Amino acid sequence: MIKNYIKIAWRNLLKNKVNTAINIFGLSIGISTCMVILIFVRYESSFDHYHEKAENTYRVVQHNQLPDQTLYWNTTAYPLASALRNDFPEIDMVTQTAGPVSREFSIEDEERDLIRFEESHVLFADPFFLKTFDIEWIAGDFNTALSDINSIILTEELANKYFPEHNENYQSIMGKTIALQSKDPLKVTGVIKSAPGNSNQRYNILIPYEFFKINNPYFSGNWSGNYQGTTYVVLQNEELRKPLEAKIASWKKKYLKPEDDKRISYFLQPLTEIHNETLYGSSPGGYILPSKVLFTASIVALFILVIAIVNFINLLTAQSISRSKEVGIRKVLGSKRRDLIRQFIFENSIIIIGTLCISVAIVSALLHQLNTNLSIIDLKLQFAWSHIGLILLIGCFTILLAAIYPAIVLSAYRPIQALKNRIQLRGTGNFNLRRSLIVFQFVIVQLFVIAAIVVALQMNYFKNESMGFSSNAVVMTPTPEFSKLEVFRNVLLENNNISKVSFGSGPPMAVHGFQLGTSFRRPEQTVEESLDAEMKIGDVNYLDFYDLELLAGRNFTSNKETFDEFIVNETLLKSYNWTPEEAIGKKIQINEGQATIVGVVKDYHNNSFQYEITPCIILNWEYYQNQAFIKIGNQNYESLAMIKEVWEDTFTSSIYRYDFLDDAIEKEYVLERLVFNGFTIFSILAICIGCLGLFGLMSFITSRKTKEIGIRKVMGASILQILSFFTKEFMRLVALAFIIAVPVVYYLMNLWLEGFTYRIDISIWMLLSGGLITFIISVITCSFQSIKAALANPIHALREE
Amino acid sequence: MLLNLKNISKWVHSGGQKVFLLKDINFWVNEGDFISIMGPSGSGKSTLLNVIGMLDDFNEGEYTFLDESVHTLKEKHRANLYKQYVGFVFQAYHLIDELTVKENLEMPLLYKKHSASERKSLVGDMLDRFNIVGKKDLFPAQLSGGQQQLVGVARALIASPKLILADEPTGNLNSKQGEEIMEIFTQLNKEGVTIIQVTHSEKNMAYGSRVINLLDGSIV
Repeated sequence: MIKNYIKIAWRNLLKNKVNTAINIFGLSIGISTCMVILIFVRYESSFDHYHEKAENTYRVVQHNQLPDQTLYWNTTAYPLASALRNDFPEIDMVTQTAGPVSREFSIEDEERDLIRFEESHVLFADPFFLKTFDIEWIAGDFNTALSDINSIILTEELANKYFPEHNENYQSIMGKTIALQSKDPLKVTGVIKSAPGNSNQRYNILIPYEFFKINNPYFSGNWSGNYQGTTYVVLQNEELRKPLEAKIASWKKKYLKPEDDKRISYFLQPLTEIHNETLYGSSPGGYILPSKVLFTASIVALFILVIAIVNFINLLTAQSISRSKEVGIRKVLGSKRRDLIRQFIFENSIIIIGTLCISVAIVSALLHQLNTNLSIIDLKLQFAWSHIGLILLIGCFTILLAAIYPAIVLSAYRPIQALKNRIQLRGTGNFNLRRSLIVFQFVIVQLFVIAAIVVALQMNYFKNESMGFSSNAVVMTPTPEFSKLEVFRNVLLENNNISKVSFGSGPPMAVHGFQLGTSFRRPEQTVEESLDAEMKIGDVNYLDFYDLELLAGRNFTSNKETFDEFIVNETLLKSYNWTPEEAIGKKIQINEGQATIVGVVKDYHNNSFQYEITPCIILNWEYYQNQAFIKIGNQNYESLAMIKEVWEDTFTSSIYRYDFLDDAIEKEYVLERLVFNGFTIFSILAICIGCLGLFGLMSFITSRKTKEIGIRKVMGASILQILSFFTKEFMRLVALAFIIAVPVVYYLMNLWLEGFTYRIDISIWMLLSGGLITFIISVITCSFQSIKAALANPIHALREE
Repeated sequence: MLLNLKNISKWVHSGGQKVFLLKDINFWVNEGDFISIMGPSGSGKSTLLNVIGMLDDFNEGEYTFLDESVHTLKEKHRANLYKQYVGFVFQAYHLIDELTVKENLEMPLLYKKHSASERKSLVGDMLDRFNIVGKKDLFPAQLSGGQQQLVGVARALIASPKLILADEPTGNLNSKQGEEIMEIFTQLNKEGVTIIQVTHSEKNMAYGSRVINLLDGSIV
């Protein structure tokens, strides 16, 4: 019997090659997309869960109460860790890290030549770090690895990079020397596996925290600033969290100055929540993905799966109906309904199992693609057995719906009617169901398409909206030595391709997550009345270089060792309701000192478009002029090579790095680009799946109505009339779907756009063009089948009976 | 007596009125009969045949098949009954397109849970008997109409039914093929198989031993 089923199933699949292919293709795309999204979501919501102590580990976060706002910081003052450790015996473990930062390392090769490497993920960590977090050791002892101040721990990859000759014997690397910034010799005390991708601690080198403290005595003893010290505590159990927070609240005055004590409060954030919580921003060196995004992604995944399954059921039922004759014969010949159900379930299950196999292949290919293409967030997605299990589960679910439903519908046919092909007359109720399924999926298709259009336009807005400064063809490179800046500038300007050179702490818009912060007040105000501002250091060419427009006052005349002049932006003036003219000559106190406002510049976007323009103060300071901005005439390799040459001649002891400002700005929209790519891919997928469904349904209907088309043609219907006879119905459904989709997408996209301070408005034409795209594609899809049916010779159609 | 129909009526409602498809049908069939049901289009011939074959319901009356009262039986028992005793032959052959001749013949046996070796020998017998051994691996589309109907008859016979119901078995065939099929029916009848055929043709009617004439759902 089974053999008979397999035979019938196989011959049927071959007979309906196109439909089978559509069916398998559609469902496997649906399943694999859903799987990839779910794997991604799972990965993104499992950050740092793998540590043994993850449940009881908390990050100390800081709320900074200013008169006009509260700032939420994920880093704390450096002395906090040891203070907590000394004063709270109930805390199991306190650990603190600084960084990750970028540092330069060098080793001597066999010929005693110095080889330099730049490493961007250097983490300073205390010995407790190794006991708090799970780290896989290849060589070295976690109890002592960071005890000596001049030690260094490398990841496997770096060990291979620095000491390629070790031949897998990592023990032989232990004790070798690596120089930090060409001066401090550090001894290798451990080789570890890199942390898995789903960890917020990103490092490939660990250096003792003590080393950092000794080299930064001012930072490490200062309680009032916001320095990049990340503090973690391990508690015995969850209940201790709230009491501890309360205790810390009353304890902190022991160390903080009274005005800081009022302003700063500490809280404990569970380690496992760090990655999905936006309040505190990205951890240093890492990124965050809000749980909202993950939730939406999961919903999207389920939608795609549902569409695919619905289509599958739809097509399968449609195909099965054309086998009503077989059902009739089998029933007459003595088949029980149970036998028939079994046969069809069996048959459909074969297709589904085939589809599952294909999905597994697609998923692993897609994951590979994601890992390589989404390098910005350093994905390390893996295809695990549990995922195959999940696919199987989806498969069972699909079998349950897609195999059993048609089987039951089909097996219920009365043999006489089945034999006489009367089924379609009775199938009107069925058809209504199918109609609503089509509407449902086209609602989703249009949701995606319109969303993709809106996101694309918002992205376009980022790109084309004026930022208030010029960013074109600007090369940025760090400048390690202040004393050599003028020489560097002069040599560069000798080249015709370079028109302007300026130095400062950073470009007008904060890039790479780097911005100097300070607070400001009028000298007569108290510290508590201070407001938050961005501090920027620029040389006398800065305004001209970036085309920043002065509304009042003048530019700096020179940079000084002790700054004495400020240029501020319009937004800052709003805090005091000054006009630009009024502001000139006013004195302002910032954390770093006091100076006079000599100029007011027109507002420019000092933050990316997601955020508002914030008060900004430009200082004529010699410190922090650690970046050079070079405007090149043409972005060719010659000028870049030239800059590199000049740079290396000037700053002999460092490694040259550069970045285009435009690229750096682009990177500020990584998440948005991700969303855009996501929507583009998903709308294409949704269209594909939706059209496959439409195509399949059309082919079913045309094959069922061959006779009707024949009669109509004999009666004199033109091809066009026959086409419209088929297409009209579907177009009505697509239009209905559009009407349903519009309010939903309008609401959702407005919600998304609200996340941006600077944004586009959703207009009617965006909605309409989304509808139009879907409409055109579906007309084309429908036409394929109906043209074929309309062109066929009616005689053949009518002779069949 | 093989079967007995008493006062069988079947109707549908159309525009608030009862339209009779069968009206007060009374007749019986003995084992070994060869009965032809005649009548113009729409007179209810096929409906009557379907009722006899238990593929269709009726609204009124009593139907006894081998001493079982069909009208009181549940669907499942009814199916078992016809599965065991009745073979069907259709005008449009109704072979399964995706199965070969051999597989088509084998199908009824699958539903009767015959063992594989039994099925093989029964199929082999039938192929021999109808001289279609050479065609056993062909698909229905590769056969002529006459050959397809031959397979259809063979399939109806394979489970050795007591009764064969044939709905215009020669309707799609040319006269020579038709004659062949009718010869086979005569032969089967001689071997003791009861046959009820629906036919339009006077010629085919002549093969039968008894004729039932239908007009507008009633026997005339």
